[in-house]
Amino acid sequence: MKEKLIRILTEVCPGVDFAAETALIDDGILESLDIVAIVTELREAFDADIGVDDLLPENFNSADAMLALIERRQG
Amino acid sequence: MSLTSPGFLILLAAAAAVYYLAPKKLRWIVLLAAGLAFYCVGGGLAVLYVLFTALVVYVCGLALGRLNEKRRADGDRRLAARRWCVAAACLLNFGLLFFLKYWNFTAQLLSPLLGGRDLGVSGLLMPLGVSFFMFQSVGYVVDVYRDKVAPERNPLKLLLFVSFFPQMVQGPISRFGELAPQLLAERRFDADHVKYGLQQMMWGYMKKLIIADRAAVLVNTVMGDPWSHGGAVQALGVLFYCVQLYCDFSGGIDIAVGAARLFGIELAANFKRPLFSVSLADFWRRWHITLGAWMRDYVFYPISLSKPFARLGKAARRRFPGKLGKVIPTSLATFIVYLIIGVWHGANFRYIAFGFWNGAIITLSILLAPAFESWKSRLGVRETGPWRAFRMAHTAVIVFFGRYITRAPRLLTALWMVKELFVHPRFQELGAVGELGLGAGDLLIVAAGVLILVLVELFEEKRGDIRLWLEKRPPLIQWLAIALPLLAILCLGILRGSHISSDFIYKQF
Amino acid sequence: MTLPREPVKGDAMSSKKWIAAFLGTVLAIVLLIAAFNFITDPFGVFPGELLEWPSYEMTVNPRTAKVTWLKKHWQEYDSYIIGCSSTSSFSPVTFGGYWGADFYNMIMYGADMLDAEQLARWLTDNCRVENLVLNVYLDNAVYYDTLPDPLSYAMLPEVTGERALPFYLRYLFCDPRHGLDKLKAMARDTYMTQPFDVFDEATGAYDKKVRDAEAIGSLERYYMSYPAFADYPEASLRTNETAVQGTLRSVAAIRDLCEERGVSLYVVCAPVYADYLDWFPREQVEDFYARLAEVTPYWDFSRSSVSFEPRYFYDETHFRNCVGDMAAARMTYDGEPYVPEDFGAYVRAETAAAHQEALRAAAPLPEEAYTADVPVLMYHHLDEVGNDSTAITPELFEAQMKALRDAGYESVTPDDLIAYVRRGEPLPEKPVVITFDDGYLSNYEYAWPILERYGFRATIFVIGSTVGCTEHYKDTDFPITPHFSWAQAAEMVSSGVISVQSHTFDMHQWAPYESGKPRESILRWEGESEADYRAALAADCGEIAGLILSATGERAHVLAYPNGLYDDLAQVTVLENGFDMTFDTEFGSNTIIKGMPQSLYGLNRFTMNESVSVETMLEWVSTARG
Repeated sequence: MKEKLIRILTEVCPGVDFAAETALIDDGILESLDIVAIVTELREAFDADIGVDDLLPENFNSADAMLALIERRQG
Repeated sequence: MSLTSPGFLILLAAAAAVYYLAPKKLRWIVLLAAGLAFYCVGGGLAVLYVLFTALVVYVCGLALGRLNEKRRADGDRRLAARRWCVAAACLLNFGLLFFLKYWNFTAQLLSPLLGGRDLGVSGLLMPLGVSFFMFQSVGYVVDVYRDKVAPERNPLKLLLFVSFFPQMVQGPISRFGELAPQLLAERRFDADHVKYGLQQMMWGYMKKLIIADRAAVLVNTVMGDPWSHGGAVQALGVLFYCVQLYCDFSGGIDIAVGAARLFGIELAANFKRPLFSVSLADFWRRWHITLGAWMRDYVFYPISLSKPFARLGKAARRRFPGKLGKVIPTSLATFIVYLIIGVWHGANFRYIAFGFWNGAIITLSILLAPAFESWKSRLGVRETGPWRAFRMAHTAVIVFFGRYITRAPRLLTALWMVKELFVHPRFQELGAVGELGLGAGDLLIVAAGVLILVLVELFEEKRGDIRLWLEKRPPLIQWLAIALPLLAILCLGILRGSHISSDFIYKQF
Repeated sequence: MTLPREPVKGDAMSSKKWIAAFLGTVLAIVLLIAAFNFITDPFGVFPGELLEWPSYEMTVNPRTAKVTWLKKHWQEYDSYIIGCSSTSSFSPVTFGGYWGADFYNMIMYGADMLDAEQLARWLTDNCRVENLVLNVYLDNAVYYDTLPDPLSYAMLPEVTGERALPFYLRYLFCDPRHGLDKLKAMARDTYMTQPFDVFDEATGAYDKKVRDAEAIGSLERYYMSYPAFADYPEASLRTNETAVQGTLRSVAAIRDLCEERGVSLYVVCAPVYADYLDWFPREQVEDFYARLAEVTPYWDFSRSSVSFEPRYFYDETHFRNCVGDMAAARMTYDGEPYVPEDFGAYVRAETAAAHQEALRAAAPLPEEAYTADVPVLMYHHLDEVGNDSTAITPELFEAQMKALRDAGYESVTPDDLIAYVRRGEPLPEKPVVITFDDGYLSNYEYAWPILERYGFRATIFVIGSTVGCTEHYKDTDFPITPHFSWAQAAEMVSSGVISVQSHTFDMHQWAPYESGKPRESILRWEGESEADYRAALAADCGEIAGLILSATGERAHVLAYPNGLYDDLAQVTVLENGFDMTFDTEFGSNTIIKGMPQSLYGLNRFTMNESVSVETMLEWVSTARG
């Protein structure tokens, strides 16, 4: 599942090392447009009900954090 | 009360002295009292608006807090009640804001439909910086709704958050989660904070009093009667307006941020050297940052992740496979945000047009981004210095033309003026630049001021906060960095000809 | 000094020290400003004397600076004139002369009656006051208790009773550019009235030396200098009931105060220019002055024939000193100086209604009742061969004199004109003034007998330094047209035909013949200091007056400007040195006005020489009356 996530993320934001980065938001690597694009993709791909309330830096700082969020919001 | 008035400085000095003399537990009350005093002296009865807003968000916050607890307890995700709370806070606040700022504008628009009846209300008591504390307060309610912060149970503490006085006039717009803990913390006197605060205030006063108020004279001369000038002088007026706006607004923010720092409170940055923006989107991340962030969190995200937008996104992707389909919803949301920013600036078609201008360019650049990328790689352009400089220049040009829209007397005049720049520039008129209200000495001071400003910002862009560099200099230099700015503010700012200090441009926004 | 290239390790200055340095610097700047304001004291509120300049300070704020002045000089005065700026033309010197008192003029621009009341109270409390002249102007019915500007219109706290600390703090921390302006003005100060220095601190009155020296003649010329009167703006103003009540309350308070302290109070209503008066509804104006009579009797000069004559005013609300002098004469029933019949009336409550009735009839006097057009002929040399500059043949001269007499002209002397202006003494129907410049022997040889023959009198303006030079220019070898001697001058004067007056002692030099820097006219040399120039001119005036007096017994008080050149500084200085009438050489006639000494200054003259035929001359002098 993580590979699938990283693949999707890289597709949305080419050039970002999602496997290694752990401060994607705090370091300003991802911007609001990227976040929206990522959330839209994740909703589609994982059928996760991610909402505005979930848009906290800690949920998007790393691929692992996003994975955890997806798992929480699935089903 | 203006941030440049002696009254503000006296109040600030008194508040700071009492603050540090008072027992730590009571210090937040000093800030609250100072804020109410500031508002009462500066706006009189308009303090009622502040109390009203604080009351509304206090009640909504408490209600949301209770609903949130319930939700946690029984896992119920009942949205309706919570949404109603947010809606109520928004309606009451923005309703009032709309009434104060836009009613007369709307009444004018409606008047033909009503058979010429004018529903305008005159003599409205316009509270100081009304939209700043309302944005901040609504942000608090939404944050409680999103369960990001716990609701404040002490109404006075919430009132302090709404009415913290340095930022009342023109922001920055703070978040409850960031500001409230600082306001309420029991803090010791920290000389570093006070020093940085005083330095930032001096910097702000220099920008505002020495550069902006001077530039304003030329701007008013040219824009008061653009018809009697050629395109080149008009463009000079707009250029001076850019200088004026930045120095005025960011100077005021520096004063506010510096003043807050005297109490050890760090407010969010509102400007990050916008001159160095490499795109219009980047500009808006560096200009009026707290408004942009507010718009992102409370407008852009909710819109672009809403159900209708999700459906729109799906439809768009089916219709336009590939990148285009994917960016259509975000572009639309972006566009809406800039429209709102435009309308927020003022009740006038010019500002709506200003929103269109920004929204359209940013949307276009999102849509065209893939094409740019492929051109770039084909032309072999690298992200090097010259390329960066080129991008900065092209951003500056876009911002510059955007300012025509906001500063010209009318929207159509703005378009005509842009046309004049290319059709009848009349460059020879630039020789008589000294006849536009500013003498040679004043023009020189503006030029020197802007040069110093750019150099300092360049330094900070490359090497970080100049204050950290400065404090490692020998004492004499540090003292000169106190005495010279103070003298400059006194001689070139406060005692400036017969020109009367103009109000902060952003005060009533 | 070399600064370390590398940053000093760690903080070079702790933040606490930085804050101390900051606060210290702020404090130093604040103290510097206060010290600067205290020392320069542009408003005259502080006691320091280092940069004291009362007339400047009175200009910036008369309310503070005059009281500050009186605190030091009150022993020099025993009587005061109080009121707004129209009060300034009540001369303390004139009033002092009539009342036998030492007057001080407390005029404060824009003064309202509350200012006057507070000041009267302070004066009676702190100074010796025997007479108080209170001017109630029409504007006092419009404004009461105003403070247009807190620095320039404020009074000292000891006068108003307000708290002293905020007052002095306001001046201590005012914009230091006020003090800087004072220093700059000090560098530019001159003897003449300057915009930054309009008061005479010793009398308290406006320093009107330039206004009093300005040449005033025909109405057309006056309109050119004062276009406001030519096209007086239309406007409408109303009195303000609150102001009227306040004013009357304050007048009553001053009245009671004077009664209590045994001070003689004279309430005066200053002349108002008629067109300005017409801005107000008639009934409002009458109501104001009628109600004033209920409070106190007063001398009313507000409306009369004087109100209609713009030359008696220098702007719409300010009349001239000469009008103030006429008012003083009327108030003391001095019948000698000229005062128009309808100017001024003493009004009491019981006569107020009748007085208002009478005022409605106020109208301008006919021009010829108080002005006269007087042509002046300017001759130089008489010679067998005339020319078209300065020489005329005795034959033509005699023909001209004959023609004048046949046409009914009567010669008048400068003294006649002065008597007309000062005392309103009549002039002949067809007056003409005959003058000769330079003092040539030919005047003695030809002109004197001819004049005597035709019954004319003339004035000869002699250059003191060339009197008696029959061969050479002063003590040089250069030849000169012969000039008559002092003995010949005395001979002519004693005949009653000729008056000898001044063409300066030696300020009409002939440059090519002078070894030093020549004085070709009375004007100041370029680069000459004002003090040096004034001293030189005063010495010259004294010299010629002494010579004329000792040689002929005549008082020299009339001057013909060499080459007709003069300026304000020259005119002012000449007036201060015993002269009261001056002539220039500009072509044209003159309008002499009763009660207006300025109509005696810079009189025009027709240049007479061989090219002026009898007919031309008759044409010139006859168009004068028209």
